[in-house]
Amino acid sequence: MAELIISKEDFLKFREFFYRKTGIQFDDSKRYFVDRRLIERVEATDSGSFRNYFMMLRFEASGDEIQTLTNLMTVNETYFFREEYQFQCLVNSILPELVKRKTDKSPIRIWSMPSSSGEEPYSIAMYLLEYWAGINQWDVEIISSDIDTKILNQARRGSYSQRSVGNLPKSLLTKYFTPSGAEYQICEDLRQAVEFTRVNLMNAADVRGYRGFDVIFCRNLLIYFDDLSRRQAADTFYDALHPGGFLCLGHSESMSRISSLYKARKFPDSVVYQKPMEAR
Amino acid sequence: MKRILIVDDAATVRMYYRFILEEAGYQVMEAVNGIEAMEKSLQEGSFDLYIVDVNMPKQDGYGFLRDLRGREELLQAPALMVSTESAAHDRTRAYAAGANLYLVKPVKPEELLLNCRLLLGEVRP
Amino acid sequence: MALVKKSASEVVDQEERKRKRDCGSLAHQLCDRDPSTRRWAARDLADCPDASVVLVKQLRREMDASVREIILTTLTRRGDEEAVAGLVECLRSEDASLRNEAIEAMKLLPVEVAPIMGELLSDPDPDVRIFAVNVLESLRHGKVEEWLKEVIESDPHVNVCATAVDLLGEVGTPFSREALENLKARFPDQPYISFAADIALKRILAN
Repeated sequence: MAELIISKEDFLKFREFFYRKTGIQFDDSKRYFVDRRLIERVEATDSGSFRNYFMMLRFEASGDEIQTLTNLMTVNETYFFREEYQFQCLVNSILPELVKRKTDKSPIRIWSMPSSSGEEPYSIAMYLLEYWAGINQWDVEIISSDIDTKILNQARRGSYSQRSVGNLPKSLLTKYFTPSGAEYQICEDLRQAVEFTRVNLMNAADVRGYRGFDVIFCRNLLIYFDDLSRRQAADTFYDALHPGGFLCLGHSESMSRISSLYKARKFPDSVVYQKPMEAR
Repeated sequence: MKRILIVDDAATVRMYYRFILEEAGYQVMEAVNGIEAMEKSLQEGSFDLYIVDVNMPKQDGYGFLRDLRGREELLQAPALMVSTESAAHDRTRAYAAGANLYLVKPVKPEELLLNCRLLLGEVRP
Repeated sequence: MALVKKSASEVVDQEERKRKRDCGSLAHQLCDRDPSTRRWAARDLADCPDASVVLVKQLRREMDASVREIILTTLTRRGDEEAVAGLVECLRSEDASLRNEAIEAMKLLPVEVAPIMGELLSDPDPDVRIFAVNVLESLRHGKVEEWLKEVIESDPHVNVCATAVDLLGEVGTPFSREALENLKARFPDQPYISFAADIALKRILAN
């Protein structure tokens, strides 16, 4: 069989489609990166040609192929202090603004989802303890949820590979982890700092009771959802947040493909989304 | 180099404006709707001119302009609103939302350039 | 002060369970003064029989964007005849955001919307025809290219044709080649049409 080549026109056509759907833009320098992955998928789906593959991609009811393709086009590893600039934004800008508005001593509530194996919620906990002076004046609750009970148990156990902790400053690794064979065991204090719960974000009954949050981290999850589910998730978060509460998405995610309910706010470290103060 | 943000959900329309404006020496960025336009304005710093379509998914042109005009943190650049509607009341609505000029699609290259130059202060009206 | 942990059952707010959740009261709560109550009612009406009519009714007068968004999501999930009819009505609204929200919702209902496409594409209002072409973007239907070709061959309104050409660049085949070439002759004074038709032709003939 002749080797499949993606023509320039096909690349442009695909690029526009993918940008429209996900907000992710590939410039010309990414040509090789994109072409390789498209060819891989054309072959894996037995489509025979790019044209057939593209038509299937556009119209597939389940949206599975676009999800698979998005997975291939994006980096989706989890590790401690991934996209650290948002944790910096949390302590430098978001929390200071929140405490300024607070009229009582109720805890600040943070929801991190999906928890996956726990790197994100534990990163948040560490960041607060290490870099937020306010932790001495305010209680903070961290709740982290996932649909997968196996991974929740893994998160509760708190044992991590070298790869997972690789981005941590050595001082923090020493302070919060104990080496255990080839892995690193997170300390009891941090394990006790996060409440892990099982939640299916798409299930109204599951999420109904999740209210009163000040900050929600939902990074690199919605990009893999179809349009309707993404919107539903954004609507769920809207009701989960206090008016004026904040939502942080992954670095290649944008509300522009999801919902118009939030206000974009720029802080020195990041652009994040806020439920309007006047919202009820 | 002056920076122009094109806000339109139709890829071909964005390509068309880009072609005309880059030829004329402007730097061009794109957004598919008002929300993306706001994100880019906040991330990239204010633009010198906005070209804004009306009908777009998630946030339409009026919504974007109202948001833009309400933000003290952004430089209030002029906005050219471009729409398929030609009825008089839409023009009023455009100005009320914060547009400076209103054009009806399809736009001819000379028309686009002249109006952009006008709003950028590069030519006498 | 510190990081504190509640048990999982305390995490969840028990208050919402107090509200009655039968379909009759939900329809009533859809008109409540509190937007939060309206939002939850709109969500829960997803499974109630005959709810589309009352949802559409509320959609038409709902001022709060957050409630509108959820009503639309619920209507889209329901996707029944009344929901689709209600969305089509919204295409004619004076409210730009409601129109665009309806188009988006319809794009997510390709199967349900397909039967009325022909009708929408020949609507007397050119704006409705433009919106109909917008909706075609997500339609999986054997006739999509044929419809687009018909539009560019015979629709009198330049912007309806312009919208169709944009989509042909993505889904067109050599089947539409001649129609695209003729389109340039149909609107000789419109540089945008020439530009767009050329892009589409380039894409169609690339392989």
